[in-house]
Amino acid sequence: MNNLHIQKSAKNGLVFAVIIIFLALIGFTVTAASMIQKVFGVEVSVGTMPKYSALIAFLAFIGLWNGWRAAKQTEEHPLQAGHAILAGLASGFVTGLFALGYSLIVGTLQSNGVNVRVYLSSLSPESIIYFLFGQSPLSGGFIQLSLSTVSAAFGALLVIFWDRSQHQFLIWKQKLSAWGNASWPAKLRRNVFVGYIAMGVVLLLLVILPRTWGSYWNYVMGTVGIYVLLGIGLNIIVGYSGQLVLGYVAFFAIGAYSFALVTAPEPHNLNWNFWIAILVAVVASAISGVLIGLPILRLRGDYLAIVTLGFGEIIRILIKSDLLKEITLGPRGIRNIAGPTLFGKSFSSDSDFMYLIILAVLLSIFLARRWQESRIGRAWLAISQDETVAQATGVDTYKYKLLALAIGAAFAGLGGAIFASRNQFTGPEDHVLMVSINVLCLVIVGGMGSIPGVILGAFALKGLPEILRELESYRLLVFGALLVLMMIVRPEGLWPATRPKYEENSPPPVTVEGGSR
Amino acid sequence: MTTLLETRRVTKVFGGLTAVNKVDLVVSQGMIASIIGPNGAGKTTLFNCISGFYNPEEGQVIFDGKVINGKLTDRIAAMGISRTYQNIRLFKNMSAVENIMVGFEPRMHQGWLPVMLRTPADRQEEKYVISEAIKLLKYVGLEGLGDNLATNLPYGAQRRLEIARALGNNPKLLLLDEPTAGMNPQETDTMKAFIRSVRDDLGVTIILIEHDMRVVMDISDQISVLDYGQKIAEGSPNEIQADPRVIEAYLGPGASALSDKYRRERQR
Repeated sequence: MNNLHIQKSAKNGLVFAVIIIFLALIGFTVTAASMIQKVFGVEVSVGTMPKYSALIAFLAFIGLWNGWRAAKQTEEHPLQAGHAILAGLASGFVTGLFALGYSLIVGTLQSNGVNVRVYLSSLSPESIIYFLFGQSPLSGGFIQLSLSTVSAAFGALLVIFWDRSQHQFLIWKQKLSAWGNASWPAKLRRNVFVGYIAMGVVLLLLVILPRTWGSYWNYVMGTVGIYVLLGIGLNIIVGYSGQLVLGYVAFFAIGAYSFALVTAPEPHNLNWNFWIAILVAVVASAISGVLIGLPILRLRGDYLAIVTLGFGEIIRILIKSDLLKEITLGPRGIRNIAGPTLFGKSFSSDSDFMYLIILAVLLSIFLARRWQESRIGRAWLAISQDETVAQATGVDTYKYKLLALAIGAAFAGLGGAIFASRNQFTGPEDHVLMVSINVLCLVIVGGMGSIPGVILGAFALKGLPEILRELESYRLLVFGALLVLMMIVRPEGLWPATRPKYEENSPPPVTVEGGSR
Repeated sequence: MTTLLETRRVTKVFGGLTAVNKVDLVVSQGMIASIIGPNGAGKTTLFNCISGFYNPEEGQVIFDGKVINGKLTDRIAAMGISRTYQNIRLFKNMSAVENIMVGFEPRMHQGWLPVMLRTPADRQEEKYVISEAIKLLKYVGLEGLGDNLATNLPYGAQRRLEIARALGNNPKLLLLDEPTAGMNPQETDTMKAFIRSVRDDLGVTIILIEHDMRVVMDISDQISVLDYGQKIAEGSPNEIQADPRVIEAYLGPGASALSDKYRRERQR
């Protein structure tokens, strides 16, 4: 342990000081504390602050993390307990000092009658008092200081414990996997019927759930389902064929509008049948994919991304413009879009829509897998990894890229049509750039080129914000932080794609292998 | 012997630099032909002109009686020219078998609709390609490694896999760009025998760029020497070894494995 180590720990402490002060300034500390309290089953009554124990829990958590990081930074093998604790203490102390300083400044300002809220809207007088544990600035600050130092020391202890027990963990892990490969879990995994039963359970859930969980969840999960559709489509374009298309929402818009225009009473009063209209939407989107692909697929990489980005915006602005007002009703959007009918009966309750979306998702998964697990999927992958070589190996890259765009666009069109039909409305503001970005995010977060990844990603990106509603205004902040964390911890995605095992599954050779083929 | 590939006064210019200058090359069916020359002599550029990566400014590339320069690389691959690369360029995140299966692409005919419907013809074709790819995998000696991602294979295996991929479209002409680069003498010998067996077993004509003179002199039927983009000599290994222009330009006395740069410096 030398000066360098102390310096490192102090720097670590500085980082956490910034975190603590930042969270306090934006008022997140209070939100986090009330969440912790709620987790333990005690409601926070409106207008009051949560209990101090919740605040202590939150600060202690950050302190533990602080100490953990500081102790890890010593990078010793084997770790010396004294050094680790010293590092934790140093780091926690530095953070505490800054927390003390912050308490003094904000507390003094407050007691001198300065309304800090003018500058920082989240910093209410109550939250400042809460942060000081109801004490004077000085004593409140000292509580912060001691809390930070002590919890960081405990964090360092955790590292020591982890370091000492890692070997043991490894042994346990090996034992567990050996047991899993030898005993009944392995038999279960190898049994085909288990797979069928699991599939049956999932299907049964898919049938039962929309009837039972109420319209709110039907709405949320319906949105997730539509994003799964979009994700599967974009996954073919970006994940498989490797073409970074940023204007994917254009196909969504074309699908939604072509569906709306042929079914709505206004502006054209065509009132076509729902199922025919869906087909029209899918075909129109696919054709638009080809038409757009023809000129732009000669571009690669960044250029393609920028051009398609522009294309997405052009479609939205065109829909909105006066130029097409006669056809699309401009910014007003199209109302009274038809819902699905079956044998002449209307079929548009929220659970019916959920079933429709589930069916559409299952169908697209089925189709996408057929394409992806064939020569077409292989050609796409080859293009995404080295386009020049793929072409020189005999892959008609132009044809395959067009095909990817057409298929991807068709899925987006299907999603758009269902989306418009469910909302009974579609307008230009449904088709903003954010949709493209969300879909791209879910493909990347889920794992490029993997269908289970797309489903997980859609749940994470469209479902999680709903679950995070508790956090109210910090929802997007937390969400963004999770995305960043995710990309650091698991850049390959939640459920990365794997390649099929052709050699293992091939029939054994009949003759003894010779030199010729 | 019939002529398989002929280049007529092929010229490729980059800016002010003439990388390949009026090169005439004739390769007959069933030959192993080598192209040698110091670094920067235009060997790989000539390869790129033949395989369609570059369109030469002047001259013609005639393959199997047809002019092919100016065609897209996938059309040229479908006609029966395959190649490997100086720096290995596999599809890294695909398995070894899949890499070979991509090589079969020009021989596959099912479109998106049959694939979607999994028609009998599509299943048949897929089955055939899998079994053929695994045969090729065994042929190049990678049995048991087929399900590994290409990027995880050892270096020598990647070189072999690249050749297997190139053999996928049943080529008439195989262009190998420094197949033994970065190999130790033992691996080099294995590769040498392998190249010869590809020609003998499959009847593929091979053009080779190679720096290792032991390989070149041992397996070539014909050697062409390029220097500064021009062909300065051509002939059998014995002729090349005796050619005063080549010795002057390139080989030097006892020049079996000396590096190009070193050779050049000795000349000056």
